[in-house]
Amino acid sequence: MLHYLGRRASYSVISILGLLTLVFFLTRLTGDPSALYLPLDSTPEARAAFAHLHGLDQPIYIQFWNYLADLLRLDFGESMRQHRSAMAVALEAFPQTLKLAFVAMLLSLSLAIVVGALAAARPRGLFDRIATVVSLAGASAPDFWVAIVAILVFAVGMGVLPTSGTGGWEFWVMPIFVLMLRPFGLLVQVVRGTMLSSLASPYIKTARAKGLPRRAVVFGHALRNSLLPVITVAGDLATGLVNGAVIVESVFGWPGIGKLMIDSIIQRDFAVVQSTILVTATAIFILNILIDLLYAVLDPRVRY
Amino acid sequence: MSAISSSVQAASAARPGRVRVLLNYLKRDRLALAAAIFLALLVLAALLGPWLMGDAATKLGLRHRNLAPFDLDAGWLYVLGADTLGRPILPRLVVGASNTLGIAAAAVCTSMLAGGLLGLVAGYTESWYSHVIQRGADIIMSFPSLLLAMIVLYTLGHSVTNLVIVLAITRMPVYLRTARAEVLELRERMFVSAARSMGASSARIVLRHIAPLVVPTLITISAIDFATVILAESALSFLGLGIQPPEFTWGAMVANGRGYLSTAWWIAFWPGLAIMLTTLSLNILSSWARTAADPQQRWRLQKLKKAAR
Amino acid sequence: MNPAGIVSLVSAAILAGAAGPALAQGGNHDVRIVLPEQPANLEPCGSIMTNVGQVLNQNITESLTVIDAKTGKAMPKLATSWEQVDPDTWHFKVRQGVKFHDGAELNAKAVAFSIDRMTGGKLTCNNMAKFGNAKLTVKPLDEYTVEIKSDRPQPILPTLLSVVMVVSPNTPVDKAVNDPIGTGPFKLTTFSPQTVVLDPFPGYWGKKPAVTKATYVWRQESSIRAAMVETGEADLTPSIAIQDASNPKTDFAYLNSETTAIRIDLEQPPLNDVRIRKALNLAIDWDGLSQLFGDDIQRASQMVVPGIIGHDDKLEPWKYDAAQAKKLVAAAKADGVKVDTEIKLIGRNGIYPNGAEAMEAMMTMWQGVGLNVKLVMLDVADWTRYLQKPFPAERGANLVQMMHDNNKGDAAFTIPIFYRSSGQYSTLNDPAVDKEIDTAMAATGQAREDDFKKIFRQMRTEIVPDIPMFHMIGYTRVGKRLDWKPDITTNSEIPLANIQFKN
Repeated sequence: MLHYLGRRASYSVISILGLLTLVFFLTRLTGDPSALYLPLDSTPEARAAFAHLHGLDQPIYIQFWNYLADLLRLDFGESMRQHRSAMAVALEAFPQTLKLAFVAMLLSLSLAIVVGALAAARPRGLFDRIATVVSLAGASAPDFWVAIVAILVFAVGMGVLPTSGTGGWEFWVMPIFVLMLRPFGLLVQVVRGTMLSSLASPYIKTARAKGLPRRAVVFGHALRNSLLPVITVAGDLATGLVNGAVIVESVFGWPGIGKLMIDSIIQRDFAVVQSTILVTATAIFILNILIDLLYAVLDPRVRY
Repeated sequence: MSAISSSVQAASAARPGRVRVLLNYLKRDRLALAAAIFLALLVLAALLGPWLMGDAATKLGLRHRNLAPFDLDAGWLYVLGADTLGRPILPRLVVGASNTLGIAAAAVCTSMLAGGLLGLVAGYTESWYSHVIQRGADIIMSFPSLLLAMIVLYTLGHSVTNLVIVLAITRMPVYLRTARAEVLELRERMFVSAARSMGASSARIVLRHIAPLVVPTLITISAIDFATVILAESALSFLGLGIQPPEFTWGAMVANGRGYLSTAWWIAFWPGLAIMLTTLSLNILSSWARTAADPQQRWRLQKLKKAAR
Repeated sequence: MNPAGIVSLVSAAILAGAAGPALAQGGNHDVRIVLPEQPANLEPCGSIMTNVGQVLNQNITESLTVIDAKTGKAMPKLATSWEQVDPDTWHFKVRQGVKFHDGAELNAKAVAFSIDRMTGGKLTCNNMAKFGNAKLTVKPLDEYTVEIKSDRPQPILPTLLSVVMVVSPNTPVDKAVNDPIGTGPFKLTTFSPQTVVLDPFPGYWGKKPAVTKATYVWRQESSIRAAMVETGEADLTPSIAIQDASNPKTDFAYLNSETTAIRIDLEQPPLNDVRIRKALNLAIDWDGLSQLFGDDIQRASQMVVPGIIGHDDKLEPWKYDAAQAKKLVAAAKADGVKVDTEIKLIGRNGIYPNGAEAMEAMMTMWQGVGLNVKLVMLDVADWTRYLQKPFPAERGANLVQMMHDNNKGDAAFTIPIFYRSSGQYSTLNDPAVDKEIDTAMAATGQAREDDFKKIFRQMRTEIVPDIPMFHMIGYTRVGKRLDWKPDITTNSEIPLANIQFKN
């Protein structure tokens, strides 16, 4: 197992370096950033001065070499927008998103397992139908729509929650709710699907024939064996949340890494784009390793 | 002896064709039937819509800007209201179906096929290319989809094909990893070692034995992924990277209505509802298909028949 | 616990804890302002960018002069008087008894320091864009007199100096700062990814403002900003979309000194034929199009707003005449002009609200008179390639959606960049026009105004290098506690000193 971990870790480091190289070259294909940092009526000389100041007028291989050299000294570059260390900007924003994503995933996963299992226990029954419709409606609704409507209803209309911003628990309610919708919807369906397959297996028939109560059959036996795909999808959703909490961060004003990444990409703030991708990629790679370990824990037949 | 064989003969003679069987299953599940009808109507709208309602959907009506729905003074085409340029929403939904369904179907099918195949390979073998595939999937997961969209569109230009490519690439990892996870578990099963001991090649085992067991979960995911792709295209449209005007999709319509949720809610609501209903139908139908395809669950859709005596 | 139990517990907790969100303070004079975007940095040399200027200008840092919104003329601020000694040289008298937030004295040396920092080239100074390629030399003549020399005539130097923010001589010259030290009535207490907080500076030289603390936050969605003022979570938002401005008691419209237009690429056929350019202007249903922007919008006939020196009040905008447009196109076609060449209409995402819809509408209208126009929406960086020289070689016939901001009181900030052959946006290449512009730029007084007016008229009636659309309107929402109205400078600055309180 340790051998496996060591190998995975080294492959991951190589992959992250590959990712950074890819990002470095590809982002510079998207145009000249000076247009975005200088007023539109700047002179060509001013733009040339800007390019020179930030090393953008050098050939791209020189720029890459400088970038690698800086990386070795743990210098991740400076944000052209904020005039401070790009990695500091990224590390400041990351915990905000992590907090939201963690709580949302935890809630979605636990609720989805319960609801999905109950739905699978009596397929096409009333609970199943309602759970399906509700979970799918949430999963396919545009998240900005839900966010803004929720704010209009609960904050403006009823005044029971603040519109936006960070703070005590009341500032978390709507953002978490909106973030949970798609993961919850998808996970309910996945859990339900795999549970249906498990519940149809012969060993379940045996368990039932033995007279075990329904709860033990469903949660004790069938659920544990259908968790592998559920964990995979949940992991994918979690990584998606880190990158994709953009809407929630935009609408509710949480200074998270999703919005930072989008803004930096649009603004061609290369150093920050690279730093945020480095931070999120590291998190994603670590998460994937943990999930693979979890497979082995959950299913003893899985060997590496 | 003769009674049994004659009843078997009678049964096989009376067995209806495959399609009839499926239709019977469909009739047994009312909700799946409704879903199938809705999807059929949608496909019809996608095929015929541009021809029937193309003009109505694109003509400007600046004096009907943000017209509220359920007001038949402006004609029945305006029953769902009008958008920010005064174009009636109902024809736009019908015409937009073809772009929406086309792009989403292409992206989902491509990513499901590519991701599924690669996941099967990555899960079954232990060799170096399995690791390369997995790390490749990790890299794709870490690469922000907006950046990918921007790069592709900047270098290759705006086109529907490029849009589908971007959407397919970003959705691939989930299929890849799910397929791999299932294969990891399935390859240890007894039927696999049995097949191997009988001399079946790896390819045959993977494609003929393992793949059919992996497919149902992938299809479950793809039904919701349809909505995810449509909404991803909507987010790209909001930033101007999606489909280019005058072409439009439901996702683009939703993006346009974003600033009007409190004042002209119908602009984003109807296309959003269409997306929701499509996802719901796809999901219900796929879950029905899963039940019908699984021999151990098929009984739910079959009628109790008196055995021949 | 079963799901139903969980749900009822959670909803009970929500309702029980509904003590209400953090409300804006009543009774005291703290204000909370919600901006559309986070100021990326607070470098005073970048105060020309809206989201920086709205926080900094006249609050933390002040300039030597300010522009009077109604007359366009420069008024004293940190400079008390000035005179032009020769065409290239001005002398400014610096106000006495002014201290910076860190205790340093404001004097001629400090002013020279600030200007040298801006022109020094060691950091990117956006505010210098207004000066073009002019080189400035600053010399303190005595303790409170400064001489500013330029390498070319500067008839409106006092106006130009309104963008120069004076900073403490202790500010680093070689890097941008996020903790500016100025002379303004407020000093910076906090700058975080979530908020900016300003507290009063007790040693301010001027009148103490009524505002006792200013907190800035930012939300991207206009509906959220509007909602925050409505619920009392914020007191003021300087920018909401027109559809959210539904309450006449709190929502105020103002001319925000931006003019929207379409720039025509005169060098590319068929746009090099003046009949096509006139047809482009005539083919638009201007009344219909204006509905996208609300009732307060003003139709533009030239690229500056009323109140700017050089604006010709008598110049009529183009009227809608589709029939005439079709005739012009047909006449051009008959003369062999290839009118069905594809013309790219280059839009920019998010340039102004309903910008994309406007482009779609205009494209449809132009197609209606027989021109082959195709819309392509680009993001800022891509769009700028087409906007500024050097233009891409493969651009083909193109029309560029654009918006121009001039709140510096003088058409000198508009005419050269649009119409002179050396201008960054200009597709014109006419030496006669260049000479006219140079003469006008060097003139002063009434002659200057008349020259500028003549140029605008010539553009509108004879040359037609662009399609002026509208003078844009901004909408603000002001909470019930405040007594404040926007004006033409609100787009670039929100001086807290102008905010009073009701009751």
